[in-house]
Amino acid sequence: MRESALHLAGLTKSYAYGFLHRRRRVVLRSIDLNVPRGGIFGYLGPNGSGKTTTLKIVMGLLRADSGTALVLGCPLTDPAWRARTGYLPEHPYLYDYLTAAEYLDYVGRLFSLPAAVRRERALRLLKLVGLENAQHQALRRFSKGMVQRVGIAQALMNDPELVLLDEPMSGLDPLGRRLVRDLILDLKAAGKTVIFSTHILGDAEALCDEVAVLRGGELLKSGRLGDILKIDMAYMELLVSDIDGAALDGDVRARQPVGERWRLEVAAAALGTVIGSVERAGGRVLSVLPIRQSLEEYFLQAMGSEGQHWAAHD
Amino acid sequence: MKAKILLIVLAAIVPFCQRRIDATLGEHRATEEALYVWSGGYVKRLSPGFENVMADVYWLRTVQYFGGQRAFAKEKRYDLLEPLTQITVTLDPRFEIAYHLGAIFLAEPWPRGADKAEKGVALLKQGADATGSWRLRQLEGYFTLVFLHDARKASEILLEASKLPGAAYWLKTLAADTLTRAGDRELARRIWLSMYEQSEPGTIRANAEFNLQQLQALDDRDALQEAVIVFEKETHRRPRSLRELPRVRTGKLPVVDPAGVPYEYDETSGLVSVARKSTMWRRPLAHL
Amino acid sequence: MGRARLNRVLAVAANTFRESVRERVLYNLVFFAVVLTVSSLVLKELSLRQDEKIVKDVGLAAMDFFGTLIAVFIGVGLVSKEIERRSLYPLLAKPLSRDEFFVGKFLGLAFTLLVNTAVMTAGLAVTLLATGRAFDPGLLKGIIPIYLGLMLTVAIALFFSTVTSTTLAAVGTLCLCIAGRYSDILLHMKADMGAAGGLVQFLYYVLPNFRNFDLKSQVVYGDPVAWSIVGQIGGYALVYTAVVMIAGALAFRARDFV
Repeated sequence: MRESALHLAGLTKSYAYGFLHRRRRVVLRSIDLNVPRGGIFGYLGPNGSGKTTTLKIVMGLLRADSGTALVLGCPLTDPAWRARTGYLPEHPYLYDYLTAAEYLDYVGRLFSLPAAVRRERALRLLKLVGLENAQHQALRRFSKGMVQRVGIAQALMNDPELVLLDEPMSGLDPLGRRLVRDLILDLKAAGKTVIFSTHILGDAEALCDEVAVLRGGELLKSGRLGDILKIDMAYMELLVSDIDGAALDGDVRARQPVGERWRLEVAAAALGTVIGSVERAGGRVLSVLPIRQSLEEYFLQAMGSEGQHWAAHD
Repeated sequence: MKAKILLIVLAAIVPFCQRRIDATLGEHRATEEALYVWSGGYVKRLSPGFENVMADVYWLRTVQYFGGQRAFAKEKRYDLLEPLTQITVTLDPRFEIAYHLGAIFLAEPWPRGADKAEKGVALLKQGADATGSWRLRQLEGYFTLVFLHDARKASEILLEASKLPGAAYWLKTLAADTLTRAGDRELARRIWLSMYEQSEPGTIRANAEFNLQQLQALDDRDALQEAVIVFEKETHRRPRSLRELPRVRTGKLPVVDPAGVPYEYDETSGLVSVARKSTMWRRPLAHL
Repeated sequence: MGRARLNRVLAVAANTFRESVRERVLYNLVFFAVVLTVSSLVLKELSLRQDEKIVKDVGLAAMDFFGTLIAVFIGVGLVSKEIERRSLYPLLAKPLSRDEFFVGKFLGLAFTLLVNTAVMTAGLAVTLLATGRAFDPGLLKGIIPIYLGLMLTVAIALFFSTVTSTTLAAVGTLCLCIAGRYSDILLHMKADMGAAGGLVQFLYYVLPNFRNFDLKSQVVYGDPVAWSIVGQIGGYALVYTAVVMIAGALAFRARDFV
């Protein structure tokens, strides 16, 4: 039985709203979760499902109505685990008037790191996230993606055993996303535990050992990714040119013009036939890709009827 | 480019609009002055914790107003003097200079001042009551004598002043003299001299000096008058001009007053007087 | 353990100081205050030998006025801005307790105001020198209470900043600061109020009495002011500030950051 990095039991959270605050909206419904040490754990769910709320409760930004949480074996109120944990909030906003280096130095002081250690680590982390050339620029001038990367750097300032990242890929360009993905893998290789929340299936697919799936404040499933979600590879996306897509026959589920080209959705089984039709009509096949569904679509499709039982509102 | 031209043209038109307004509204501008002048209590309420600075601001306004009227106004009106001064001392009841100078501005005869001697004395009384200052009480006494010509009252006030802590040792004597020698020009001179010596170079000192010069003018006039009478006795005729007088010829008596204006001599009546147009001229006061 | 806690509080304070100093608002206000004080030199021409009094009046009033503006306008953003912009979240995830954060913010702005008051005092001294007079150390007995008043203002601003948005916090703090300067009215009202006198009296003691910090008139007129009086004022300031800070810290502890 591997040691637990994060253990949640019966975690519940609701908000009062309405006139005189008499009605309550439940945003987390009795979450039970165990994340073992040393691995990458994906906390998945569509927007508004309660992922951020869960992480905020763990970090102490919100108070749960009921339930318990243990971080690295310690209860939430015990300050000991904070020195061993790193956190990146959703849409981080940092201090306009500081430079990246100054900000990391400030964070380091909060861990009571000595000055030399702070300097060395800040530099190393900024290099790691690709920002060492911007370290003396005011954060005010940073793009959203750069801020996100500084956010990741500050989460690692104390060389934590457990890293919690809330939507770490948001705001990043493909290069940035690649960088973060590699970073997360490196953290795992160094023996750390990474928990990150996302609504993008592709990221989870590439990185996670295990996942938990959240919808409407309830935990639907948790376990290995492959066991939970079936990636629908039934349809393929075809990009073709020099042909009138409207006139093409074959098992084409959907077709739309994209400039002078056409985008076709074709059943995997009929792929070969359609490609043949295109070539016979004198057209060219530019690309063939599996259609990846987002979690949102997946839920709507595969869990549609089940999902309706767990509405977000009372 | 067009926008810039438009900007310049419109900006140039603004002064013309202003002049039109000034031409039409000109005579109503007096009301503008009233806007500065609310009641002291009102202003005090609006500046909690900043009363002293507001008192300074209103004092500057008062000085500006007075100086402006004296220097520039064709028809000198000192109407706002009293309200402005009152606001100043309501905001800061310890503002001694405001009482002192305010009283001078108020009490001096027109056109040098507002010619409201009673108000001036009342201001000094208000100040002396508020601060317990012997100087202000002393001034109240002085002004009661030289502007209101009430020797008995002046003497009482000076006696009170002499009992206040820090009072000059000679005030008691002065109080007594005021009673016994009321109307004596020498007394008035002593008082103005005292005010001259007690002040630093500035308006107050200049004002005292001016008053001393006026007394000097009276002395000179009396001396010239007496010389005329002596001349008549000796030569059985009136002199044709003041220059005929022997003491004038020898330079012992001046023919011009301290302001440089020649004394007037009327051969028919034989009277010497201070020229009406001279600043040394004072309204005739029997006892002085 | 205590050492680490102190370090964290000081880290927050240092960062708050840096933030305040880099805010342009601060520079504008301080610059304006110093300019105002120096410009009172011009008044020498107009004021008939009252320049010393006027320079001192203006200098002290500027310290009070601009100091209060700084305390309010930076103070009300100290916590609410961090909440609104969520820059607070990564910080609270660290081993930094909410109390430590709160106190650190207070100390940071208090230090900023200390520097600010010192700069304005220097400006006043220079202006006095320019009128040919030495700086009167008795003025310090007026300056220290002004600074104590600013401390209290910061605490009030910080409290409001914790419980409401930046804008409402500014309104609330300014209202209390202005009402607190009218304490003398309350004191005099007590007598005429009859039955409601009890309420008035209650209000008088509850509202922060900013009149206590106003010794400007006395020090400019050179009245003898015993240091014990300054001490008593300091005691009032300390106690009242502590009350407000504790209330604010409790409110901050209870907040959910949605």
